[in-house]
Amino acid sequence: MRPRAFEYYAPVSLSDALDLLYSGEEAKILAGGQSLITLMKLRLVSPNTLIDINSIPELTNIREENGVIVVGALTRHDQLARNSIIREKSLLLAEAASVIADQQVRNRGTIGGSLAHADPTADLPTACTAIGATIVTARVKGSRSIESAEFFRDYFTTLLRQDEIIQEVRIPIPPPGTGGAYVKLTKGHNDFAVVGVAAQVTVDSNYVCRAASVVLGGVAPTPFHAKETEKFLMDRRLDDKAIEEGAQKASEALRPPSDIRASAEHRLEMAKILTKRAVGISASRAHGAA
Amino acid sequence: MLLVDFIRDELGLTGTHIGCDTGHCGACTVLLNGVAVKSCMLLAAQANNSEIKTIEGLTIDGELHPLQEAFLEQQALQCGYCTPGMILSSLFLLRRNPNPSEEEIKRAIDGNLCRCTGYLNIVKAVKAAAARMNRQGVSSN
Repeated sequence: MRPRAFEYYAPVSLSDALDLLYSGEEAKILAGGQSLITLMKLRLVSPNTLIDINSIPELTNIREENGVIVVGALTRHDQLARNSIIREKSLLLAEAASVIADQQVRNRGTIGGSLAHADPTADLPTACTAIGATIVTARVKGSRSIESAEFFRDYFTTLLRQDEIIQEVRIPIPPPGTGGAYVKLTKGHNDFAVVGVAAQVTVDSNYVCRAASVVLGGVAPTPFHAKETEKFLMDRRLDDKAIEEGAQKASEALRPPSDIRASAEHRLEMAKILTKRAVGISASRAHGAA
Repeated sequence: MLLVDFIRDELGLTGTHIGCDTGHCGACTVLLNGVAVKSCMLLAAQANNSEIKTIEGLTIDGELHPLQEAFLEQQALQCGYCTPGMILSSLFLLRRNPNPSEEEIKRAIDGNLCRCTGYLNIVKAVKAAAARMNRQGVSSN
């Protein structure tokens, strides 16, 4: 099918876009369009106005400032996956971006769009939650910063207001001795996650864990912090046994759905196995970085 | 209007194909300012002030592009429906990575579905084209 008719604007400045968003009632932001245009073609979503933000220069660019990596909302997944700053200081994020869908989708899809869309089986919401990213938004009335952990409320539902857009994502640069990894199980080769695990650990020179962040995607309406795993790994030496035991706890408090991709039982089992893999890779990367 | 409809219906360039309704198959792949995109997932208006390369743009003065030649020689097509999109995705790969491994080729075309060939000859064709292009020094074509 084809989308229903709509009005189309392509502002060239952020303030113009915000004004349009503020005054339009059913306006939707068009960024990469890889999710939105699909929904419009299926007529699951039929906004009467589209605001195309792809020509706004303030929303591109990746830079480092004051211990933080700042990623513009319009950064394409392909750029994120290949950027040298991200690959060096947040490999987990680059890894997550590199396994999204396929090359064509990665060439257009954006981090702002992915986070705003909040698909529970997507990769970037999970990864951003694990690295403690802060989402900076803008609206006509001003700007605010929202922690990833607070941002996602339910399936496809975030704290974003109707007149608000994501401007940039700020990622704290982790201390030395930190390693992260993103591991994803898919049904087909380039599919959404059945289970995705984003893990980041910091170890000291004795390989003892000083910080642990383990977040699962595809198993709950929003990215799921495996708190029992994180608690278990803290202050423990990260050998195989500790990682194995910690991973077993990942499925505690988890009530994953059964759907066309996988049963709940399969997800519960895979959550533990993928957590073990993700934490294992993070730990050896952390060891290398210590 | 979607970009693929503009290309096919308004411009009459029917080499770009529509193979699905959900943005999965990649048969509609074109290069937008040199970047491989699925033209069914873009609005025509979004291509304003941009350069689009379709499969028709690969044959210059009647001479086939090395990718087109390689696809023929390696029998990398049967019905031909996925072929234009497959070739354009491959062109995007070879411009960034002139000497890709088999694994890299497979990853680069995993947004293009083929129902006929089983992909093996497609991968061979891309490898052969890469070798030919490197010999000819045709790296930016």
